[in-house]
Amino acid sequence: MAKRSINEKCYVYINGKILGYVKDGKTYTNEIRTARRTGVLSGEINVAFVPKLNAVHINTDNGRIRKPYIIVEGGKSKLTPDLMDKLRKKEIDFNYLLRHGIVEFLDAEEEENTLVVFKEKDITAETTHLEVDTTSIFGFTLNMSPFPEHNNAARHAMLSNFIKQSQGLYATNFNLRFDSRSYLLFYPQAPIVSTSVFKSAHMEKHPSGQNFIVALSTYYGYNMADAIVLNKAAVDRGLGRSMFYKTYSDEERRYPGGQKDVFKVPPATAEGYLGEHAYSKLSEDGIIEPETIVDEGDVLIGKVAPPRFLEESISASGLEEKIRDDSTTLKAGEKGVIDSVVFTESTGATKVVKVRIKSLRVPEKGDKFASRQGQKGVAAYIVPQEDMPFNEQGIVPDLLLNPHSVPNRLTFGHLLEELAGKAGALSGKMVDGTAFAEKGSQRIEEYGKTLEEHGFDKFGDETLYDGITGKRFQAKIFNGVVYYNRLYHMVSNKLQVRSRGPVQILTHQPTEGKARQGGLRFGEMERDVLVGYGASLLLKERLLDQSDKAAVLICKDCGNIGYYDYIKRTVVCPICGGTAMSEVEISYAFKLLLDEIKSMHIFPAMKLKE
Amino acid sequence: MATKKNFLVTPGEPVGVIAAQSIGEPGTQMVLRSFHYAGVASSIATSGLPRLVEIVDTRKKPATPFSYVYLKGKAAKDFDAAEQIVKKISEVRVNDVIKRILENFSKGTIMIRLDEQKLEANELTAKGIASKIEKLIKAECTAQGNSLLIKTHTKAAKQTRAMAVQIGKLTVNGIENAGRAVIKQDKKTEEFYLVTNNSNIAAIMQVEGVDTSRIYTNDIFEMYRIFGIEAARNTIAKELDIVLREQGINVDERHLYILADAMSASGSIKNVGRRGLSGEKESIFARAAYEETIKHLINAAAFGERDDMKGVTENVLVGKQIGLGTGTVTLAIKKEDISKISEKKGKK
Repeated sequence: MAKRSINEKCYVYINGKILGYVKDGKTYTNEIRTARRTGVLSGEINVAFVPKLNAVHINTDNGRIRKPYIIVEGGKSKLTPDLMDKLRKKEIDFNYLLRHGIVEFLDAEEEENTLVVFKEKDITAETTHLEVDTTSIFGFTLNMSPFPEHNNAARHAMLSNFIKQSQGLYATNFNLRFDSRSYLLFYPQAPIVSTSVFKSAHMEKHPSGQNFIVALSTYYGYNMADAIVLNKAAVDRGLGRSMFYKTYSDEERRYPGGQKDVFKVPPATAEGYLGEHAYSKLSEDGIIEPETIVDEGDVLIGKVAPPRFLEESISASGLEEKIRDDSTTLKAGEKGVIDSVVFTESTGATKVVKVRIKSLRVPEKGDKFASRQGQKGVAAYIVPQEDMPFNEQGIVPDLLLNPHSVPNRLTFGHLLEELAGKAGALSGKMVDGTAFAEKGSQRIEEYGKTLEEHGFDKFGDETLYDGITGKRFQAKIFNGVVYYNRLYHMVSNKLQVRSRGPVQILTHQPTEGKARQGGLRFGEMERDVLVGYGASLLLKERLLDQSDKAAVLICKDCGNIGYYDYIKRTVVCPICGGTAMSEVEISYAFKLLLDEIKSMHIFPAMKLKE
Repeated sequence: MATKKNFLVTPGEPVGVIAAQSIGEPGTQMVLRSFHYAGVASSIATSGLPRLVEIVDTRKKPATPFSYVYLKGKAAKDFDAAEQIVKKISEVRVNDVIKRILENFSKGTIMIRLDEQKLEANELTAKGIASKIEKLIKAECTAQGNSLLIKTHTKAAKQTRAMAVQIGKLTVNGIENAGRAVIKQDKKTEEFYLVTNNSNIAAIMQVEGVDTSRIYTNDIFEMYRIFGIEAARNTIAKELDIVLREQGINVDERHLYILADAMSASGSIKNVGRRGLSGEKESIFARAAYEETIKHLINAAAFGERDDMKGVTENVLVGKQIGLGTGTVTLAIKKEDISKISEKKGKK
């Protein structure tokens, strides 16, 4: 850095706009800070001295992320034991600390001017602030995970997402709620290894997972590459079992002209009538009854609506009013039991029906599970208990996690949780896994001691026996208790197949997406692969026969596309009037291209070879 | 037994598609890795994806041209002799020997103070430079000690400034646009060769002691101008190979030669894109499927063009079996026609 003279101007910026300059930016900054702490200035102001630019940045705008810190002055925390006492007795509160300059909020820029210590004992003469708590350097979701300080940072982002996706007891009034989709775990458990934030967020009262007995072992290749193996007996006893709720709703809308929808079993004369069978489960009022078992295609809410266009109702000879079937049916691939039906009114004073359907989700192959350490996996095999490995006490793990999941990903927290969970389960005590609460080495010693007290190996390793052969495994296998979440990505909601099905109107090509029973796109790069293999007939099958094949008549004289005249029973070319035609198979997309070229006043003639 | 036959490509094998995939797939990894080498000072030459794009787009001049100059006879083994050739080739500009340049706009003069040490290193004198400048531009130039005084005969500040810039760029020693030459030694043969950081091989080849049979530049167009299309084709393949190899990607050279062949088959260098290979395809549909769809269709209509439906793209579009791989084979004679032929033969 270039030497600066004492007279050099130190510019002051407010919210990025230049305000003026001062001689000494550092003292100026400190003055503002003192004013803020004594209450002269608003506590929402942040000020930072930037030595690199020799400038003072004052920020008062909205949208800054700020975090509270305890102020340290003269090597002493301002939050004295005396004040802590008062806080505990609830004589004072957090706002008191803010007002009295004991705690202040800092933004990202002001943080650059500070020297923050983690724990009170580490305070030196230079220290400016003290962290409120060791957990406060992590966010809320991450603090749900035990031992995050032992994991790779990349896993933190993952585990935060997995925790948010887990099924559990999301609300205690779930029975009264009509969420469009909700998931409810049957036997949620409080984790044996918990954290302080987990507890203070009352997550123990509505948890979102279960304590699984996990062995870090392979199983005949069934848990390769993030697959997991589950114990069938455990699943049958309710491990990971949950209920899926989905709400269908419909409304009796009013239309301009006095027409309106009516909830009822549609008459067979209604346009778009689905056939008698589809409506068989409806009661007299046109709405399905609770506890009815429903399958895909069943009508849940019968409703008739006026025609979409006005002319239709008038043209129908005036005798009978034409109506349209607008019933709500269960979507393809769904089934379950009607859980609850609610009949209410909307704010627009129209009748509203909400039908909640429930379906049991027993863990099956393809369901996703994750621990709180960013270790996710998909159930690949649910093994009968007799084929699972067991230890000498007859304990059989609930889940087998492949040991290869750990080394590359550096999720040591997973191992530590397994050990802590085992120690906690044996001693019958909850274990605290709050970040930075204790040193890792201390923890291992502590848990090892508990394990030894109960007659287990201090590192959690055990001799296991193969359930199929009954032979002892040569290696000792690490096992313990890990809190696993069942995530809401379940195969039964995603599974989809198609052989033939709906096509798009414009291109005659198969539709896309699960909701439209679509196919999987055979794209440009996939096409290139088949070309590269020289598999010309397979290519034709994919791109023509299984897609938009169209038989077209082509005029032998002018090369235009013609048609078959059913009245005259001849083929006709609309341009030259010729009747010499040959039928050719082309892709409908090409026919569409020719049509569009014609719309540009270009005539594409096709000359055919015999 | 491994014979030549075993290595021949099967007729109908889509070699172009395979070459494209073989170069393209590792190319996608290169995008992610291109920043890894940023900041390494040793190789300043463009590498990675930017260089690959440069080659296939056939830029007229590479961003970092360079040339390898091999030496003949004594110079190849003798460092001092090689240094003599360097002095003939290595380009020295006025800017390279300047200490300071002062413009006097009111008088219309430019005063240049030369750096003594730099002059000495390049074996130049102020007088020599002055006469060179006079030769190259229309201005009076006189040497005064280690300074040059240039009279521009104009009082317009703009022209004086322009001239000062122009003078700075003048070549006073060596070959123009040849760049700085550095001597390097081949580790195996221990022979000396030169590397220049610009390229003007046509002029370098005139210098005595240069092995004209082994001179090389990474400028594909320069190779094309001086040695012809075959050399340009080899340069394309070689440069592609260098780029990919640097990234730790191993692509078989035959794939690269397919690309180089396609780019040079017409006798001139064509790029890969709408102004080159793709834009000059025979089929209207294949061109329209790539870029500028409407332009191609309208031109085809205006000139009454005809599509013979021989390529891959157009047959995929229409829904016909492609004429590659298993589609190479077609029926030559129908079964019924065979009997007709044999009947005719019988009659004769």
